[in-house]
Parts: sequence; C-alpha cells; structure tokens
Amino acid sequence: MLGGGPRDARRTERYLDGLMEAEERGVAEVPMDLDIDPAVVLAARQLRAELIRAHPSFRFEEGLAARLARTAGRMKVGLSAAEPAEQVLGRTAPAPIAPFRAPGVAASAGLASAGLAAAHERLGTPAAGMRTLPAFATRTPRPLIVGGVGVASAAISIGAVYVAWRWSRAPHTPMVRAVRAARAGRGHASGHGRRAGVLYGILGAMS
Amino acid sequence: MSRTVFGTSKDAARPAHLDRDRGLVEAARSAPACFDALYRKYLAQVYSYAFYELRDHHAAEDATERVFMQALIGLPHFEERADSFVGAGSSGEVPADASTFRVWLFRIARNVVANERRRDRRRPVTPLEDAQGLAAADDVVEAAAAREAGSTAWQAVARLPEDRRRAVVLRFVDEMSTAEIAEVLGRSEGAVRVLLHRALRSVAADLRGRLS
Repeated sequence: MLGGGPRDARRTERYLDGLMEAEERGVAEVPMDLDIDPAVVLAARQLRAELIRAHPSFRFEEGLAARLARTAGRMKVGLSAAEPAEQVLGRTAPAPIAPFRAPGVAASAGLASAGLAAAHERLGTPAAGMRTLPAFATRTPRPLIVGGVGVASAAISIGAVYVAWRWSRAPHTPMVRAVRAARAGRGHASGHGRRAGVLYGILGAMS
Repeated sequence: MSRTVFGTSKDAARPAHLDRDRGLVEAARSAPACFDALYRKYLAQVYSYAFYELRDHHAAEDATERVFMQALIGLPHFEERADSFVGAGSSGEVPADASTFRVWLFRIARNVVANERRRDRRRPVTPLEDAQGLAAADDVVEAAAAREAGSTAWQAVARLPEDRRRAVVLRFVDEMSTAEIAEVLGRSEGAVRVLLHRALRSVAADLRGRLS
C-alpha cells in the first residue's frame, strides 16, 4: 500500500486506533491490516513513543487556578469577569501569595464593598470550591506591610518602657548604690555626665 | 464515563453517547468555582497542544491561560451536542469517549493559538527542546540519546504543513479520535483521515532519509 487514498487512510486509522487501545491495555500486540505500509507503522510507533504530553510548571498551574477562582467568584456575584491586565498575565505578575491570615481577619480587613461581602458569604470556605482562597482574601500586600511596621514600632516602644522600668526598679543593695555613685562621679566631666549624676543622686536619695 | 441515552440524537433508534464531562460541566455551570475540576483535567492537554504549536514555553503558558479564561467565561453559552459524533469513528460508531466539552475547549485553543501566532509572528521561534527530555534523569547519555531521537521525530513533524502537523499533535499527543479532530479543525472526518495518513507517510520518508 503506497497510495494516499481514502481506503489507505482508513487502514492507517484502524492501525492508530489499535495502537492507542493496545497501549491503554498494556498489550504489545497491535492488530493491523496485512497490506498496510510498514513505513507508516514504524512512523506511527515512533511518533507515539516520542511525542509526549508536556505539563506546565506547578507554579503556573496553581497561579492560573487562583486566577480562575477569582474570575469564578466574580461571575458568581454577577461582577465583570475581566481582571486587571497585570493579574491576567501570570508570567508578568507574580503568582498570588498564599494568605496567612485567618478567615475572620480576612473578612474584617478585606471586605471593602457590599458585593465582595456577598461573595464571601456565598463562597464560604475555600475547601467548598477551588483549592485557593477568593480574591479578597489574597489581595492584601499593603495592609500586611503597614501592619508589620506598626507591630515593630510597638515592640520597640514596649522594650524601651521595660528597660526604663527595670532601671528604676533595680535592687537597692549597697553595691548598687556604690556603683551608681562611682558612675555619677565619673560623669561630672561633661554636662551630660552632670545631668546623669543629678539623676543618680535623686535616685539614690529616693532609695 | 459516557452515558448512553436513547432518542436524543437525530436517529431516535440510535444510542447517543453524551459528553463524558457532562457532570463536571453542569457543576461548573451552577457553581463557576467547580470549573477547577475541568481545568485540572485538561490543563496538560491544552498546554501540550499550545506548546507543540507555538514551540515556546512562555507563549504556551500565555495561550493556556487565555484558553481556560475564555472557557470559564463562555461556559454558560456552551451547548452540548450529543449527536455531534453520530457516524463518527472508523467503524461508523459513536466513540465511547466522545467529549463535546473537550472539542469545544480545543476549538478555543485552536483560535487562541492562531491569534498568538499571528500576533507574535515577528518574534523569533525557539526550537522545541523541553518536551523530549524524558529519559531517566540520572543517565545523561541515555537522556541525550532520547532527546536526539525525540528531536528527530519532532523535526520531521515540524516540517509538515500546518494542518497535517496539527492533526498529528491532536492525534498523538492529545489522543483524540478522528471525529474529535475533525470537529476541532472544522474538517470532515475523511479529510482528517487523509491528513493523518499523508502526515505519517511524510514523517516516514523523512526519518528514512535521515537514517540513510
């Protein structure tokens, strides 16, 4: 068989069907017509073995899943399905960061509009739908930064208050008084030292 | 997965196999978040099709994203056609794995890829290399040999005319039936059959020439 007519094409198709079925069943024998071109058989086997199915990266898969989930959430509440361009193009925009906030925090911080509030109620927990959280739970990079700065500032303030408190509540042993008196004596050389000496004097008198 | 019903096709006496994805499609229609199941099921197939057509990893990812976005948004307008495969297959029977959703999805993919190629025509095309690195990762020689053989086969396919190459990819990579390929490409089944047959003969001649 060397032609390219419909009859030969049917033979080839039957062979390809048999080839796929044999692979599915894990059988080596593939039924074929006797007058099929052996070169076609060889080419089909080689292509079947070498043209493999590719898979995108895990990061791309999960990123696109998150974007589809956001689109699905908007469709459900009747909003426009279109996303901002920087979010649609997954390669130019980074994949959404997995939210580390509790659902309650997300609800209180992220729900800015009534539409999104309704979306949150309808979607419920992420496990009920797709494996990712809805958009309003993931799109919070700036509040996280602002909150982090606030927490750091508060921690520094609390630390300073604690050190001052510890200083004022130092044990009033004779040794401590002697050390303070010695420091006060060394500090008289400068104005700052004088002020410190006055302070130590007051503290010593109070103790 | 396919369900057989009677009386829904043009020929009432003939059983028509409904879309094997019908359950998933209906779930996604009522709750768009359930589209995730269809996405996970067909991601590799759509990506592979785009990858073999565009020969670029990033372009294939962009195309894949557009395909699934369009599919999700257009799902309410998707109409299952249970009788679209009547008369399909080499023996004239309805293929048991006929999936009208898959055909619909790949039609979107075909359009997206065509648009992508049109838009990026000026961009240089890099050779397809990543898809062939399938041998054992710890055997460098074997991996190189497999890569070379794979690239040889792919180069033979890449030299085919566009319609033949597309049919080969849909047949061998995405494992579609002739009827499904015909639906995706908008050709008759007979035309697809001949396309595949001629493509295989061309590949065989190409490989033979390389060996000699």
